[in-house]
Amino acid sequence: MTRSPRTLPRWRRGISPPPLIPYIVAGDPDLETTAEYLALAAKKGLFAVELGIPFSDPTADGPVIQKATQRSLRHETALENILAWLSGIPEEQLPPLYLMTYFNLFHHMGVTRFCREAHRLGCIEGVVIPDLSFEDGILYRKVFREHGINLVGFVSPTTGMDRARRIVKESRGFVYYVGLMGTTGSALHVTDETRRTVGMLKEWTQLPVCVGFGISSGAMVEEILQFADGVIVGSRLVQDEENPTKWKETFEEFFSAAVKGKG
Amino acid sequence: MKGESAIKSRQGRGTSPLPDVRGYFGEFGGRFVSETLMSALLDLDRSFKKAWRESAFRKEFREILADYSGRPTPLYFARSLTQEMGGAAIWLKREDLNHTGAHKITNAVGQALLARRMGKTRLIAETGAGQHGVATATVAARFGFDCRVYMGSEDIRRQALNVFRMKLLGSEVCPVDLGGKTLKDAISEALRDWSRTVQTTHYLLGTAFGPHPFPLMVRTFQSVIGQEARRQMLSREGRLPDALVACVGGGSNAIGLFHPFIDDPSVRMYGIEAGGRSISPGDHAARFAGGSIGVLQGTRTYVLQNPDGQIENTHSVSAGLDYSAVGPELSYFRDSGRISFDWVGDDEALEAFQTLSRTEGIIPALESSHAVAYGLRLARTMSRDRLIIINLSGRGDKDVVEVSRLLEQKEGTS
Repeated sequence: MTRSPRTLPRWRRGISPPPLIPYIVAGDPDLETTAEYLALAAKKGLFAVELGIPFSDPTADGPVIQKATQRSLRHETALENILAWLSGIPEEQLPPLYLMTYFNLFHHMGVTRFCREAHRLGCIEGVVIPDLSFEDGILYRKVFREHGINLVGFVSPTTGMDRARRIVKESRGFVYYVGLMGTTGSALHVTDETRRTVGMLKEWTQLPVCVGFGISSGAMVEEILQFADGVIVGSRLVQDEENPTKWKETFEEFFSAAVKGKG
Repeated sequence: MKGESAIKSRQGRGTSPLPDVRGYFGEFGGRFVSETLMSALLDLDRSFKKAWRESAFRKEFREILADYSGRPTPLYFARSLTQEMGGAAIWLKREDLNHTGAHKITNAVGQALLARRMGKTRLIAETGAGQHGVATATVAARFGFDCRVYMGSEDIRRQALNVFRMKLLGSEVCPVDLGGKTLKDAISEALRDWSRTVQTTHYLLGTAFGPHPFPLMVRTFQSVIGQEARRQMLSREGRLPDALVACVGGGSNAIGLFHPFIDDPSVRMYGIEAGGRSISPGDHAARFAGGSIGVLQGTRTYVLQNPDGQIENTHSVSAGLDYSAVGPELSYFRDSGRISFDWVGDDEALEAFQTLSRTEGIIPALESSHAVAYGLRLARTMSRDRLIIINLSGRGDKDVVEVSRLLEQKEGTS
């Protein structure tokens, strides 16, 4: 079954799905629970979910995601095995997925082979690879594009204007604005500069501009949605991942904030 | 007109120097880091290239190396050792005589000068054996930087002396309790710190590894080893050496010795990795024996990884060689055939540690003992009129406690 990859509409214009992208570590605490979380996200009609594939050396992640990665790191959650696992899940129980992990796992599988298999699955919209820099991406962007897999571009507070413009132009799916300097899970403080930068990025692209890193409460989601198209919630949700009851509560809080923030 | 001038400029350039503008040595290298670090790396690349073009910068670098670190280090003919082996003449490049006890200080001085120019006020570093940590703490004291050194908790245990030295020098030593608790995990933690503090902090990476421009910059600073050795050998023996031997963790002492000889086809080069207990996963750090091409901590290079693409932990008796990946330039010269690689296990390295101590009165670092062990093997296969240079990258004071523990353990089991 092949679905054609979608391009994300700008969420604030017209009818669009709730602008929340939760980050879920595959296999934390086990794949059954991950499937449950994905099914919930699909039911809520979320635009996308970032599904994290554990990698042994997560250099861009803070303590919470590092620990979740260590918990879930095993042969069962290797990239190829996750693709096989996804192929067994009924389509309606899967939200559109962005696979998030470090470049070595794609490189090891072979970028072309990964793209072919991901495309065949249909549920994989794209990939988020924190350590594939814009420069090194030159070698791989074409392959992702040819297979209709969106390679998401990152912009950070240290990115210069000209560089940001180039990154946004080459980005596919959405634009990931890293709201803070540091690793995942540090505390984000929204500043005038955050607003200004996101506003600028939105002028340069039709893609949704989403803010991630350090978003820890529903109130923060609402605040960010005043100027951004979407929010990515990572560490705060991953923190509760081992406890499904708690995770669902936290998820609901972010979900209603996102629905409210969009309105 | 346009075409002609293009050809002319190509001819003027000769063979294009490596790395290329994107930081690649052939297919190895690059800048596989998060976007937050990119502006710092681009800035570092520009600042380094500009500084290195200035004779005033190079002069200050050379002067500090001379007055503060004691360069040039001697090239010493190991007469007794040579006689005992009965083969090629063995010469030792005495990097162990540098201030702080290893070649690491050279790179630390170079990068500290650069960090000062760039207006940074804080240094961070990773360390395995502690030699690079001590070198960084030393230049931090000398130039007035705040300094924090990340070190795996397993390495903190086996290199207690160096931990104390760093603290004495005014640096903070931050234990890393993740993964194998060794060098790889310390680098990850340093990268995380840097992404939080990049505007005020310079990451003083200790080896010819990581994202561009580190492999280029560290090699450039450390090439003083090979430049001196070349000059010294020519003045002592009137000719170039036949073989060079150096141990390879990340590879900075090796590329530093080798690079000035790369275009001398008669000089053979041997990089020696840590064979640990055996060449099976988790038991060694011989990337060229058990590894494959991957991407780790900013660079595309040979990496020890499992069939799922997860990075494997390593083992070596020497903390400084205990690392899952290797500098990209060495990967390039390995695949091109210019540099040969082999490995030496824990036991053979320990033996060489004792042999050199007994025959020459020089206690080598456990890292350098791997090069010594291979150099001895090589010398026996070569005729007496041949010349070998072994890079004695560091001294063994830091290792004596660990070695005495290991030797007692051995006696206990035998």
